Formats: sequence, C-alpha cells, structure tokens
Amino acid sequence: MPTSTNKLFRNYFTDYRGYDEVFASDLGIDKNWDKLLNNLSEIGREKLISKQGEIDWLLSENGVTYNVYNDPKGLNRPWELNVVPFLIQKEEWKTIEKGIQQRSEVLNLLLKDIYGKRELIKKGIVPYEVIFAHRGFLRACDQIQYKTSKQLLIHSADLARGPDGRMWVVNDRAQVPSGMGYALENRFSISKMLPEIFEDINVEQSSAFFNDLNQLLLSSAPSNKENPTVVILTPGPHNETYFEHSYLSSFLGYPLVKGSDLVVRGGKLWMKSLKGLKQVDVIYRRVDDVFIDPLELREDSYLGVAGLMEVVRLQNVAIVNPIGSGILENPGLIPFLNAICKYFLNEDLLLPQIASWWCGQKKERTYVLKHLSSFVVKRIDKTHREHIYFCEFLNKKELKQLKIEILKTPYQFVAQEKINFSTAPNFVNGQLEPRKIVCRTFSVAKNEGYSVMPGGLVRVAAEREELLVSNQKGGTSKDFWVVSDKSQSKIQHYSWNQTSSNRFTGINDVPSDTAENLFWSGRYLGRTIVTARYLRMALNQMANVQFNHRKSESESLKIIFNSITNITSTFPGFTGENELEAMKNPLKEIESVILDETRYGSFAQTISSFNFAYYSRRNLWSRDMWRVFDGIQKLWENFKNEENYSIPVIVKFFDRIITRLIAFRALSEECILVKQGLLLYFIGLQMEEATMTIAKIRSLIIVNHNQELEYEILESLLSSHESLNIYRYSYKSYLSLENVINLILLDKEYAKSLSYQIRRIKKDIDQLPNNTSNEFTECQININKAFDKINSLTVAELKTVDLKSNMRLKLDESLEELSDLLHDASLSISNTYFNHAYKQTQLLNSIK
Amino acid sequence: MVFEIIHTTRYKYENGASFCHNLATLKPKNGPGQELLEYNLNISPTPNEFSERVDFFGNTIARFSIQQYHEELEVTAKSKVYRNYEEQEEVSNLDKCKSVTVKQAKELLKGLDDEVLNAKQFLLKSPLISINSEEIEAYAKISFKSKRSLYEASFELMHRIFTDFDFVSGFTSIATPLDEVMKEKKGVCQDFAQIAIACLRSVGLSARYVSGYIETLPPEGKEKLIGTDASHAWFSVYIPTFGWVDFDPTNNQVPKNQHIVVAHGRDYLDVPPLKGVTYSSGKTNMEVSVDIRPAKEF
Repeated sequence: MPTSTNKLFRNYFTDYRGYDEVFASDLGIDKNWDKLLNNLSEIGREKLISKQGEIDWLLSENGVTYNVYNDPKGLNRPWELNVVPFLIQKEEWKTIEKGIQQRSEVLNLLLKDIYGKRELIKKGIVPYEVIFAHRGFLRACDQIQYKTSKQLLIHSADLARGPDGRMWVVNDRAQVPSGMGYALENRFSISKMLPEIFEDINVEQSSAFFNDLNQLLLSSAPSNKENPTVVILTPGPHNETYFEHSYLSSFLGYPLVKGSDLVVRGGKLWMKSLKGLKQVDVIYRRVDDVFIDPLELREDSYLGVAGLMEVVRLQNVAIVNPIGSGILENPGLIPFLNAICKYFLNEDLLLPQIASWWCGQKKERTYVLKHLSSFVVKRIDKTHREHIYFCEFLNKKELKQLKIEILKTPYQFVAQEKINFSTAPNFVNGQLEPRKIVCRTFSVAKNEGYSVMPGGLVRVAAEREELLVSNQKGGTSKDFWVVSDKSQSKIQHYSWNQTSSNRFTGINDVPSDTAENLFWSGRYLGRTIVTARYLRMALNQMANVQFNHRKSESESLKIIFNSITNITSTFPGFTGENELEAMKNPLKEIESVILDETRYGSFAQTISSFNFAYYSRRNLWSRDMWRVFDGIQKLWENFKNEENYSIPVIVKFFDRIITRLIAFRALSEECILVKQGLLLYFIGLQMEEATMTIAKIRSLIIVNHNQELEYEILESLLSSHESLNIYRYSYKSYLSLENVINLILLDKEYAKSLSYQIRRIKKDIDQLPNNTSNEFTECQININKAFDKINSLTVAELKTVDLKSNMRLKLDESLEELSDLLHDASLSISNTYFNHAYKQTQLLNSIK
Repeated sequence: MVFEIIHTTRYKYENGASFCHNLATLKPKNGPGQELLEYNLNISPTPNEFSERVDFFGNTIARFSIQQYHEELEVTAKSKVYRNYEEQEEVSNLDKCKSVTVKQAKELLKGLDDEVLNAKQFLLKSPLISINSEEIEAYAKISFKSKRSLYEASFELMHRIFTDFDFVSGFTSIATPLDEVMKEKKGVCQDFAQIAIACLRSVGLSARYVSGYIETLPPEGKEKLIGTDASHAWFSVYIPTFGWVDFDPTNNQVPKNQHIVVAHGRDYLDVPPLKGVTYSSGKTNMEVSVDIRPAKEF
C-alpha cells in the first residue's frame, strides 16, 4: 500500500471492529479496490479535499436538494455526495443482478396473486393477516386487470453486505421507488469534477437502463398509441424528493404535473392545459398509493385525481407502478418469501434476506418475546424509521410496553435479527473513515424480465457508528460503480430517438397549473426587481441627505418614504397616523419593509413568493438559471443574518441581488420556450411592471410641487426606473415633467414605458389560445381597452394641474383607469386559463 | 312481506359546484330471506356518466359523475324488496347455531376454506375500528367466556349495548373515535354496531357491519308519516359451521322482517350510502329522507 494511501487511512480502525469493504480481516487490501485507492492516492489528500468542496459547491449550485420534513433549514437541503465512490466487481454484480431480477419477478407474481386469485393465502403459504391487516392492501384494487405483462413495473431493493460477505436484501420499495435521479446526478457530478478518479477503471454506464425506463413508460400505454402522452405526477415541491421529480421530468422530457392538473371525464384521464383537455395515457407517479384517488382511497388527499381508480379499471390509463403495490413494502412477507419463490419459480431466493420472525405465529411470537431485547421490531405496514424499535436500546419499561403492543395485535409485528453490515471508506475531514452503507438498486420491467441499473444509489450513515442509513436524517451518498474488465464507451448516450411527440407540442398543451405558476413567477420576479430598485433609490437618497442636509431634499425624502408604503402596500408604514412615528426613524421602517416576512408586501415576502414559485417549476429552467437562482437565495439568506443594517450594507445587498435578478430575467428568455408557457411568464412580468410603474407615478407626481422639489422627485423616479441615462440621451435637457411623462408613460419605442408594456402584453395575450366561441376572450377585451386608453392620452392633458386641489387630476384618473383595466385583464386570464376557481371538497356523509 | 323504500339525499351547494364524482351504495342485496324485486336510482341533474360494479365485499356500488355546473344534487333510490325471514334458517331455535362455543369458534376460524377465509378479514382492525382499546376488550369479556355459546354471548352483548348506551343523535359523527363513544355511552345505530364489532374483534371473533333499513311503525292509531324512517345499521357475527347471524343493538332484536340489508363491510367507511368529491366553493347543505312502507299490491 503506498504511503499516501496509508495517510488517508490513518485512524481508519480506531474504535472499530467490524466488516469492511476494503480491508480483509488480515488488514490487507481487497484487490478489487486497488485501482481506485491508487487513483485516490494519485489525486492526493489536498486535491481530494478541494474536490470534495467543489462537489458540494456544484451540487448546491445545480440546486440538487433533498427536502427533510420539519427541517429548520426548510426546503432545499443540499444533496450530499462523497468524493469516494463505492464499487463492486462485475463478476459479483452479475450474481447480485440475477438475484434482483429474480426478486422483482417473485414480487411481481406475488402482487398479481394478492389482487387476483390469492392462491398463496388459500394454500397456506402466506398467512392472510400479512396481507389483509396491512394498510397497503387496497380492496379497491382487487381483480383489476392490466395490459402490461408485468404488474410490478419498477422495483427498488436496498442491499447491504452481511457478515458472510454476501449482499443481503434489507428492504423493498415498490410504490414510488426514489433515488434513480439522484444516482444519475451523482454519476454526472463525479465525472465532471473528478474525471481522473476513473483512470484505468471501467465503470458500467446506466444509459441503457434509462432507455429501458423510457421504453417501459411508452409501452405501458394501454391504447397502443404511437405517441402516448406520459406525465410525471408529483405531490409537489414539499415532497422530500421533489428535486428528483423535476430532474426526471427534464431528463425524460415528460411534463411534471400535480393532481390538480388532471381530471377524470368520460372514463378517461385528461390533463388540463391552456387549450383545454389532453388525454393522458401513462402516469409515472411519485404519489403514494392511498393519496392517488380521493374518491375511492384516502378522502382527504389533495394530491391525487378523483375517479382515477375507475379509469385504471377501464384500462384507459396505465400507472407506473400500479396502485396497490404498496402491499409489497411489507416485512411481514420476508419470512414467507422463500416459500413464495419456490411456489412460483420452483427455486430458492438467490439473495439472502434478514432473518425475520412474524409474530402472528405462536411459536415465532414466543421466541421473539423471550429474546425481545436482541431484535429490531417493525410493524408490517410502517417501515419508516420512526416506527422501528431497536430493542437493544429500550429500557425495561419500554420493552414491557412494546410487549403489550405486540400481544394486542401480534400479526402486525415482525422481529428482525440485528446485523452488523459492512462499512466502506468515506472521505471526512481529510481522512477516510469507515461508514455503514446501504445500496439501493433499481429494476424496471423489460419484455419477459427486468432490466437492472448497473450500480444504483449508495447511501452512507451520517455518523461513524450510526445503525440506520437514511437520507431523511441527513446522511450522505456515493456514486456506485460496477467495475468491469471490458472497457466502457466513455460517451454516455442519454438521449434517445425522440421522434415521437411526447414532449410539449405547443402552448396549447401547457398544463394549466404550470401556466398559472409561470404567470405568477413572472409577476413575482417583476415585483421583486421593481421593489428592490425602488428601495435602493430611497436609500441612496437618504445617504445623500445625510451628507448634504438640504431642506428641499428632506422634503422630497418624505414624499419618497410615503411612496414606499404606497408602492409596496405595506400599510400603514409612512402613511396615516403612523407617519410621525415612522418618520422619526425611517431606516427602521425601511428595514422592516425589507426584512419582515410576516408583513404583507414586504420585500421578504415578495422574494419568498418568488423563490417558491420558481422552485416549484424548476424542471422548466436550465442549469444556468438554477445557478443564478440559488445565488439569489444564498445572497438573501446571508443578508438576513447580517448584524448591522447600515445604509451602505443594504445598498450593497440590493446592488448584488438586482444584478442577479436581472441576469435571471434575461436567462429566462432564452431558457424556456414560448410553447412551454413562456408567454404566460412574460404576461405576468409585464403586467407587474406596468402596475408598479402606475403606482410609482401616482404616488410621486400627482401632487404639484415647486420646481426645485419637482426636480428632485423626477430624478428619483427616473433613477428608480433605471431611466436617467435614457432620459439624458433622449432629451439632453433639464428634467421636465412633460418629458418624463412622455418617456415613462407614452413613449412607444422605449421598453420601459407603460405604453410599450401594454402593447407587449396585448401582443402576448393575443397569442393565447381562444377557447371561447367569441371573437375575443375577456382578457383580450380588457387589454384592448387599456391599449386604446393609453394611446388616446396626450401629455398636455396629463400634465394639467387642477388649481383648486393643486393636483394632476386627469393623470390620476387615467392611471387609475389603466390600473383597473390591467387588474381586470389579470383576473380574466386567471378565470379563462387557470383552474382554481373551485376547490375539491368531500360530500358530507349521511348518518343517522 | 314486500317493502317499498324511497331513500332520498339532497345536497345544496351554496356557490354551486362545477363538477363531481360520486359513489352510491344504495342497492339492496339479494340473499336468504331477501329478494330485490325492483330498483331504480334517480339522479338529478342527470349524470354524464353512470356505471355499476360489485365491490370487494359483494356490494353493488354505483358510480356517477356530473360534469356541468349545478347548485343541487338529488339522489333517490327506489327499491322494492321481498323479505321473508322464515326462508332463513331460524337461528334462535337451531342447535347448530347455538351450540358453537366461543372457544370452538376461535379454533374453527383458523381454517383456510373459502368461507372461513372470507370471514377472517372481519376479525382484523379496520379504518374506523381499531381494536386495541382495553375498555372495549374488558366490556366484551363480560359476555364472551370461552365455554359459552357464541350466539348467546352475542345476543347478550347486543342486549347490554341496548341497555347501557343512550340513543342520542347529533352527539357523534363519523370522526368520533370509538373510545369516546365507549366512554360517553352515547351515539346512534352506527356507533352501536361498531362498538359491538370492536367487542367481538377484540376477543378474536369475526364481525361485520351491516348497512340497511328498518321499518318503523307509527304509534297506534296514527298514520305513518312520509320520510320519518332512516337508513339503519347493525352488526353480524360469523358463527363457524353455521354462518352469519345479524343482531340489532339499537332495537335489541335479531333482525327479522322489518330489516332490509343493503351492504356489508368492515365498518361504515366501506359502505357509506353516498360519498363523493365535488369541486365547489362555499358551504354544502345536506338533507336525507328515507321512507319504508309495505307495498300496496301485496
């Protein structure tokens, strides 16, 4: 072993007695790891440290996240990938692969039997309680016929290496197996950041597997259509693996939808799109069984589609995996699985499983209760970690309580032997440390068998001596290599011949929920930018005044403070009875307008709506945008933790975040297509900017001021509008109200003028599908009115001051009308194209 | 005896509904002593889709959906049912029924033949009936001693529930946990049926929920009023080697000609007369009326 590797392994065995992947019991190195360890030592400790840092950075820059429920960090915890991969030799992998294929097939036949003839129960091979007492046994799925040759289409098994050196199955996932997107991203990240780690090692690629997954989705369509419509159904951005849902949506090219995007009519499933309804043939679902149909399954679910079960029965849609497959996530089956395998295939299980005792049988129960403290106890239908009892850590009272629980409904419990699984090296603080690992494998139905991803996702325990490996608690992950003797093609073919039109075919097919989200994404972006610029202008003016102490300037400052409240709608703020108080310490009030998340209209609230809107449709955005987006979030997070909010600090923050927001805005134009809904995004953005322009003008120049004051206000207005330079270029003169109105409101060429914005909104609205029988949609009628209105205005009438009130009444009146028309146009877009007017409710139940 | 049953449910949506999917479990069953002569399900507005299927428990479920705006939904099931319990085996006099003891029943329930397997699913907990309450188990054990006849123990349980519990409508809803019903000893027929089922299951016996109707008789000399009846519920016990025997704890009787069976399930949630998902805003108002009377031509 080279000395540098030695250095990496220093302390590897401190306090550790166990079974390790790299070290044989004689402390020699397993030859399979030779090349990798060699490459690691070639790369060297220092570079590994910096590469690990870069990987962390890349994943976080690419926005690879994993949501942990109830995590104080909130959504979007970065996904962690350790620089040191895990590997298995091809020879061993072939055996494992065969074992997985066999297991997938056994579970497939078992699933068919459970919802079909139930022969296993009738023949006494499986006790009926293991099925009937499991909450995943859905009676609504009984006797449903499928056109696919397999019933279990995607299967995941968690493997760990047992003391005998073989890979053991510790868990099966059969409802919505997650992780394949993360596995893919892990491979991409390592190849990108550390290509030299692959030196002289032939790692199998998973492109063929993903091709098989795609074929599976297409061929599952019950109608044998040439171009079936496939959608990916997600519970939404709060789900722990939402990143993966949107990642796979971009990767596979299928729209990501939520339950509210879909509707059942005429025995078929439809996606609500801008144009109307589009039939869906295949759902690749990431929503759990019981949430998928509030009519027949869980009534309180808002994640599914009412009536979907019936569409499945009618064979008008295929769901991957079929509903009801959760019954297989059932440790109660483990003790019987070998007999099941023998019954169906006339052979033994190839992969060993953890020794398990089902407590529904008297002999087993007696044994378990007698030796309870040496077991790990699980309920058959609650396999998540919070429901697992590690009996060795329970005190007497807890053990007694568990015994009582088991005796009440013994058939709901399974006891499993506690096994010390192997460890593999993990790079932590510049050292390699042994950590327990679990390998998640993936198989998809293909022809008569199953195609298995070479490798999979390796998850690593968070602590050295951690027993359980779970990402929910925040461990890290590894790239998983299957190493072969044959050299692999370096080019990865991840794109397949997409001659079919499974992708969005046009603006008409954009799901209405996506359209709505894009519309609001545009609005929030617009609002964020305008608010940031306006506040920055105000702060710059404050800095000036502090410097100069000129009276008229402080007069103009008052007007600006006042307008902050009006523009952001953070009432009372600088207005009304609150005015005196707020004016005493304006910076404090501005600080609150920026930072108070509970305050309606605050910058904090705007940016958080912006963040959420983008996060929930991130599948539509390119990686460049994710990077900028994450940059914005980080900047904001850091700013929130700032200790001292002085004017320069805040202004600096605004400078930086505005630059990123503008970059984001520019990128969005090139990243998504009009047919993906960009139109809605622009309509939202322009509408917000137009509305904010109106609000600014109404709060700044309606009242007539003396010349000096007016000059200062016009300067502030132009500066907040980023239009000072344009003004100087266009007019080459002293600031005059007439020219400012011309530039900001009436100029037909200037992209920031209200007239230009309204024209653009009109142009975009005209491109939306017209689903009505009328010549014009309601939103067209409204925007046309606004368009005609702004074109009819003249600067002469707008600048006229009513002598009695000393106000520009005509200006105010016209802007009010325009503001109302824009508001109506926005509402009518909402009513025409979005689908949220009605919410799903359960009928009351009748009981007497 | 032939009955005519009219069961009407009316929903009013304060702000209208754009769309709904519904399931109705309203079609009376055929079985020993009961024959469905006529059945008619009337839905207004007329649904765009309608289909029927037989569910996991052998009940007929109608599924329909209304896809246009509506402010009211009215579902009326009209049935004509021939009922003659004498065609059933007369349970109380039959040794075969009475002789099976609690202990024997539990032993026989270990079998794997189709009938026993079917009965066994009613021995496990179900969505509304968890069976880990010590109070319920203790309450059950008073009647279910191992050497006792299962029939007689069940009869006694029915009688005890009838005596110990007060019929109070409006006190419970489907969300009321069984433990609370047990503690307060108040509820309606559905609660009593479910308490009895929980008792039987807690001592390892199979019991199922029966949804149906009962004919109520007017006070002597008075004319029966339309719509005074209600949908009803009771429980049924599986006596191995004999079969299912019904008990009505609300009325303290083994159902005879006044009871009409609509559906069987593990608990109420398997067989609600009407349920659905509606897309609406605002409140929903519901009215139910049931009318049962002897058919005129018989």
